[in-house]
Amino acid sequence: MSKRKVKDVHRPIGECITQVCINLFSCSFDFQTHNSLHLLELLRRSAIQGESNSVLIVGPRGAGKTMLLQCVLRDLLQEKEAQKNLLQVHLNGLLQTDDRIALKEITRQLNLENVVGDKVFVSVQTEYYEQILENKTAEKSPGDRSSSRPVLFVLDEFDLFAHHKNQTLLYNLFDVSQSAQTPIAVVGVTCRLDVLELLEKRVKSRFSHRQIHLLSSFGFSEYLQTVRTQLSLPDDFPDRGFAQDWNSSVQTLCEDKSVEEALQRHFNSSKDFRSLHMLLMLCLSRLSVSKPSIKPADLLDASRLCLCDAKANMLHGLSILELCLIIAMKHLNDVYEGEPFNLQMVHNEFKKFLQRKSNSMYNFEQPVVMKAFEHLQQLELIRPVDGSSAKTQREFQLMRLMLDHSQIMEALQKYPQCPTDVKQWAMSAFG
Amino acid sequence: TPHQATPSIPCRSLPTRQPANILEEARARLHVSSVPESLPCREQEFQDIYSFVESKIIDGTGGCMYISGVPGTGKTATVHEVMRCLQHAADVDEIPTFHFIEINGMKMTDPHQAYVQILQNLTGQKATPDHAAALLDKRFNNPAPRKQTTVLLVDELDLLWTRKQNVMYNLFDWPTQRHAHLVVLTIANTMDLPERIMINRVASRLGLTRMSFQPYSFKQLQQIIMSRLNKVKAFEEDALQLASRKVAALSGDARRCLDICRRATEICEHSTTNPSATGLVGMSHVMEALNEMFSSAYITAIKCASMQEQLFLRAVIAEFRRLGLEEASFQQVFVQHQALCRLEGLQPISVSEGLAVCRRLGACRLLLLEPSRLGVLQRVRLNVSQDDVLYALKAD
Repeated sequence: MSKRKVKDVHRPIGECITQVCINLFSCSFDFQTHNSLHLLELLRRSAIQGESNSVLIVGPRGAGKTMLLQCVLRDLLQEKEAQKNLLQVHLNGLLQTDDRIALKEITRQLNLENVVGDKVFVSVQTEYYEQILENKTAEKSPGDRSSSRPVLFVLDEFDLFAHHKNQTLLYNLFDVSQSAQTPIAVVGVTCRLDVLELLEKRVKSRFSHRQIHLLSSFGFSEYLQTVRTQLSLPDDFPDRGFAQDWNSSVQTLCEDKSVEEALQRHFNSSKDFRSLHMLLMLCLSRLSVSKPSIKPADLLDASRLCLCDAKANMLHGLSILELCLIIAMKHLNDVYEGEPFNLQMVHNEFKKFLQRKSNSMYNFEQPVVMKAFEHLQQLELIRPVDGSSAKTQREFQLMRLMLDHSQIMEALQKYPQCPTDVKQWAMSAFG
Repeated sequence: TPHQATPSIPCRSLPTRQPANILEEARARLHVSSVPESLPCREQEFQDIYSFVESKIIDGTGGCMYISGVPGTGKTATVHEVMRCLQHAADVDEIPTFHFIEINGMKMTDPHQAYVQILQNLTGQKATPDHAAALLDKRFNNPAPRKQTTVLLVDELDLLWTRKQNVMYNLFDWPTQRHAHLVVLTIANTMDLPERIMINRVASRLGLTRMSFQPYSFKQLQQIIMSRLNKVKAFEEDALQLASRKVAALSGDARRCLDICRRATEICEHSTTNPSATGLVGMSHVMEALNEMFSSAYITAIKCASMQEQLFLRAVIAEFRRLGLEEASFQQVFVQHQALCRLEGLQPISVSEGLAVCRRLGACRLLLLEPSRLGVLQRVRLNVSQDDVLYALKAD
């Protein structure tokens, strides 16, 4: 204890703040102890006893699937016996888009290129599965089961592997895991709940049907607790004085009513930790030497930034003419109940407004209106009903509005210096 | 030369541990890979295939057989056992010696690779598919002195289908040649495969020697597990019966049954606090394993979804009820969603947020969505039944 006190030196605040961003978010979640035990036990048996297994980790995005796997692997590799034996192969469905690439990657990661390199590159028509996957990961004599090193296959984005031709890779992996060859453990990670329905029935039959569901079944108090632990500095932070100040400021931040409300709102909309990290990251980026702690106002600002509507923001940047066209489209949608429209109809609607108002402020030529209409299409605020744009003339091409009416009204309220008559026109029930 | 190098995985530094207690022993025996010497409950099929192949070998003629059955009913294992027994008979000179070759449609990148593999297994030479086909043709069509019978096992036959079906045609045509001495055993899942996908001249050459493996009944499944355990007393009688009855009712897949039993031993091991004094695997453990492996996660997923996601699902159902259809556009659902938000006393959410909620539900396949480029125009469908959603939302 005394030794630590001696080390306790005060550092400049700037240095502390740089350290803060490195230190946070490093701790792992421990909500899923039951699942992690199951997985750890399974992988340990594969590594030490040479048992072949297959398992799927399923859960929504941002629920900590990869985190769980990493934690389990870290724990497993601390055991010496496992560390010496286990070979790992990590594949990702987004990178290994077909079986050929996947097999090359397996070869590379198993570091067996010297052995099979000849076969991969020399033969014109490679007998891939037999030669590479099977011979490499496995020799058929059952005696080898106890002597060859176990291989762990991690298939990230597992559902994409199910879209490969004939699902050959999956069939072969599962087949090896169900036969007396090299012990392998296949761990699939996916966010699709219906992933088993994607598998062909012979592939499905070979899969062991173990699934670990990572569902975020926690309440708001746990969520709040997570925010607190995520933001708190660990005990081994170099400057203890700063860490204490910081942690107490985090404590007060979390007890603030308005912060709690904002967090409740985020919690209501999604429980995933990634969007929480996004929010906290936005807060942390506001730290500076002159303001070394997070204030409630920062979090509210960040929350507002996260929750703002993208399309309504785009509407703020339109010209008055474009806004008028949007309003005309909204009226058309109201009158014709969502039937598609073309430029002529919109222009006519707009002209009706101009006639009534009698002031010729917005009396634009047809080409100008057309240009504005095209700009709206480029922004994808409107989109053609059918993709064939070349066949019909642009004026008569049928379009649909990609905005909700609430978005238009909201944008009108916030539009800088919106003319009153335009506003009134937008409010009026029928153009 | 590089050809003689056998690719292999490096060896472990320490050999595998021997099973320490009864449950581990049981688990090792129950693993799908530890195929027993003789398969219980497939004696009839074994006899049929055995006599078929044996008679062909003794006569020196050729023939085809088509074996079908759903996955996990012991087709490949039975054929392998037949071959083992015949090999043994050949070793003690009861029958003439023969070649056994095995190919698997799933393990080839292309149907034409079949030729290459057959040739390689027969003679050890390597060739391109076309060349291999020509060599095989020559070998099977021409007489040669002291020719051995070749038994060819073709697993996953349906994968060998090509548009012209020439691979299948050749495989079934060679046995009909006088000098071929070739017996072809084909395995696939569907019973009516020859009628469904083969053109007439292929189907007629396949002939009428068919055999179908029925799914295991619960008694057979029970017997299989008992024979695997082989006097290792790890399971209660009732627990075994429950597992086999459940699997027999669903699919009759032996692999599934073994996996469930294996999982049940794990659960049993965890439930006892003292690892040395492990009890028997009881009903409750099997029950838990069954729930884990058969239950669908949709309902739990809905229960664990965030408030807005649950509201969105309710809005979807409300909109379906209003329209009387099973499909609605996001815009329509969103109107309902806003109304529900107000009803629940929540702050209404923006369209962007609503789309994000919708996308999250789509990513885990509770909803089926059109590509998200369509924005508010995209159509939304439920991937689960409405009753399930209502049940999940009501239960809490």
